[in-house]
Amino acid sequence: MKRALSLAASVLGLALAGGSTAALADGQDYVTITRGQYLATAGDCVSCHTAPGGKPFAGGRGIMTPFGVIYTPNITPDRETGLGAWSNDDFVAAMQHGVGKDGELLYPALPYPYYTKVTRTDLVAIKAYLDTLDPVRNEAPPNGLPFPLNIRTALMGWNMLFFTPGEFQPVAGKSDEWNRGAYLVEGLGHCGACHTPKNALGGDKGDKVLAGGVLDEWTAPNLGGDLRTGLGAWSTEDIVQYLKTGRNAKSAASGPMAEVVYYSTQHMTDADLKAMATYLKDRAGAPAPVAPQPVAATDPVMQAGLAIYQDNCSACHVSSGEGIARLFPALKGSAVVQADEPETLVRVVVQGTRAAATRAAPTGPGMPAFDWKLSDAQVASLLTYIRNAWGNAAAPVSADTVKKIHGRLTDTAATP
Amino acid sequence: MAGHKTDPMISRRALLASTAAAALVGSTQAKARFLSGEVPWAPGAATPPEPALPGGWIYFTPDEARAVEAIVERLIPADELSPSGKDAGCAVFIDRQLAGPYGGAERLYMKPPFVAGTAPEFGPQSPLSPAQQYRVALKSLDAYCRSNFGGKGFAELAPEERDKVLAAMEKGEPKFDGFGSRPFFNLVLQNTMEGFFADPIYGGNRDMVGWKLIGFPGARYDYRDFIDHVTEPYTLPPVSLQGRAGWNPGR
Ligand code: HEC
Ligand code: HEC
Ligand code: HEC
Repeated sequence: MKRALSLAASVLGLALAGGSTAALADGQDYVTITRGQYLATAGDCVSCHTAPGGKPFAGGRGIMTPFGVIYTPNITPDRETGLGAWSNDDFVAAMQHGVGKDGELLYPALPYPYYTKVTRTDLVAIKAYLDTLDPVRNEAPPNGLPFPLNIRTALMGWNMLFFTPGEFQPVAGKSDEWNRGAYLVEGLGHCGACHTPKNALGGDKGDKVLAGGVLDEWTAPNLGGDLRTGLGAWSTEDIVQYLKTGRNAKSAASGPMAEVVYYSTQHMTDADLKAMATYLKDRAGAPAPVAPQPVAATDPVMQAGLAIYQDNCSACHVSSGEGIARLFPALKGSAVVQADEPETLVRVVVQGTRAAATRAAPTGPGMPAFDWKLSDAQVASLLTYIRNAWGNAAAPVSADTVKKIHGRLTDTAATP
Repeated sequence: MAGHKTDPMISRRALLASTAAAALVGSTQAKARFLSGEVPWAPGAATPPEPALPGGWIYFTPDEARAVEAIVERLIPADELSPSGKDAGCAVFIDRQLAGPYGGAERLYMKPPFVAGTAPEFGPQSPLSPAQQYRVALKSLDAYCRSNFGGKGFAELAPEERDKVLAAMEKGEPKFDGFGSRPFFNLVLQNTMEGFFADPIYGGNRDMVGWKLIGFPGARYDYRDFIDHVTEPYTLPPVSLQGRAGWNPGR
């Protein structure tokens, strides 16, 4: 995908060098287009709108939702299969209201419930940038949604229940930096798409904004200030480092977050990253769950977990669970490890994982798969141990839970 | 004969060198892949060791298996330090090895000439693969025992008699057909030690008895917690690639 981005950039260069008069006549000047490119990067459009191995922005990637697969459309300026015939108004309606060109309702797999906060000026800049891409002919495959979800009008009810349209309104009394951060986190960054827990119909739980969610068997942790399950122990600088390089002294971005860092946040300016971190550290998060009593170290399950940890994990994550800064994430004090939902834990132990390789940290350190040597029951003991050792506290994980999550794992979330 | 003895060796070496060169050229032309950025990675990808298959004998006939068990039982007898080579699974280990690439000499250069009496660095000089060496030598051993011990096979001999036969083989005294008694003795001794100390995943070293005997910690590679405490005993029990009893609660 690095190739994809530089391709986009060179296309941009060509368009500019060729002096596309039509574009200039529309007021689509160089400044607007580069700003649009930056904003499209901040919105991470390319990661969803590119099929594995496909042309960037040409669509066709299947987005897994709890209800079925939805394929992303082509957003290159091809007239028949892309956005070539879309006006700015059409585009803004899709992004801010989830309404397609023919008035059909779009699925919230396009994160319009967040993009709705983006200003019209910024959206028009994104469209100006997309218009400079090479048009690619590519029709998205039909979606795999069951009845009645395949009827788009059903979304009207969904929008009534869960969708609040409206551009971002700056909060008076907060700094410009804070407001810029809030604008990016709540809007283009659509952090809540993963980090806000969802109800049974896939709508945000309004009282739990950014309190931690689960997607595709990955746990997106609480971004609130809780010490145990949130960012309480992270400084603003820790957050900036994480978003810029994919890791910091405490953690490393895996799975979907590795994609976010790779395609989006590593390309953002330090000022914007700091603004997001400032906002995240300062916002009033949802109250965190009370820490459970840790499982006693003498419990036979903990003893078995300790044995498995010593023999398989301590070489990298260290017997104290503190890891090695910027290389092997700390498990002690980790929000991912202590999250209520153990999806990520099961996934990384069973399948292994690799951190994003970014410009600032080009080697993506990896962790091997352990499914060939650990049974589901052993994984359960191991996870119960890491969730309750070294001062950690979280509910034990049962062999049944491991088995269920293990059975649902797919290979779709390979790190970029 | 003297000139003959070296020339083929030289040409064999030259041949090896040229095949190596050919392999190199071949791989750069046909197989080389340019990697940029980072090394490819895929979830769930692992190249786990292949555990020995459970169940009965795979390569040995029942008679051969009895003989080999009787040999490894004498090479490593049970005593106060450890169970016998037989109870540690050494014969199972050897059976599985002979059924696999080792037994078929898949990684050895097996074309003639085979020259007796060369220095050890020239490697084994037999047209027979290890599996064939066992087959041929066990047949000779059986014949040897039956004609010298009143019609009894090796496995039916008393322990002292078996030791006598093994000691004679070590000196190369019994004349075996096709594969000498002395190289066969050395081969079984080598394979028995391998079976006793290899990871239990390969069928021998049952319950890590070999590792417990010598205090080897097994498949571990992190000693940072202990490196500064050299005077204190290392307390972690040995662990196999397959784990250890402590991985299950209450064990
Ligand atoms: C999380 C994945 C995801 C991200 C990120 C995303 N999209 Fe999409 N987008 C989708 C999906 C899925 C659809 C199809 C929705 C449907 O079929 O109802 C879609 C539809 C669209 C459409 C409507 C196209 C049509 O033909 O109907 C536009 C325009 C669009 N996206 C633009 C963007 C832009 C611009 C960005 C970046 C700011 C972006 N998307 C980011 C998933 C995403
Ligand atoms: C596509 C889903 C997704 C999106 C969008 C997303 N995240 Fe994440 N995020 C995750 C997952 C999953 C993790 C856990 C990663 C791991 O286990 O290493 C995570 C982890 C994090 C962490 C580290 C938390 C910790 O305690 O280790 C931070 C900070 C973070 N995300 C911030 C953000 C911000 C800011 C945004 C919006 C710009 C964002 N994320 C958007 C899925 C997402
Ligand atoms: C060879 C070194 C290595 C070994 C052995 C290893 N890990 Fe990891 N582990 C890593 C690396 C590197 C990462 C970061 C990868 C990423 O971010 O995707 C990681 C990530 C993790 C994470 C995710 C942390 C987070 O914040 O998302 C958990 C949990 C974890 N490991 C647990 C374990 C357990 C339990 C074991 C033992 C079964 C183990 N690891 C063995 C190297 C290792």
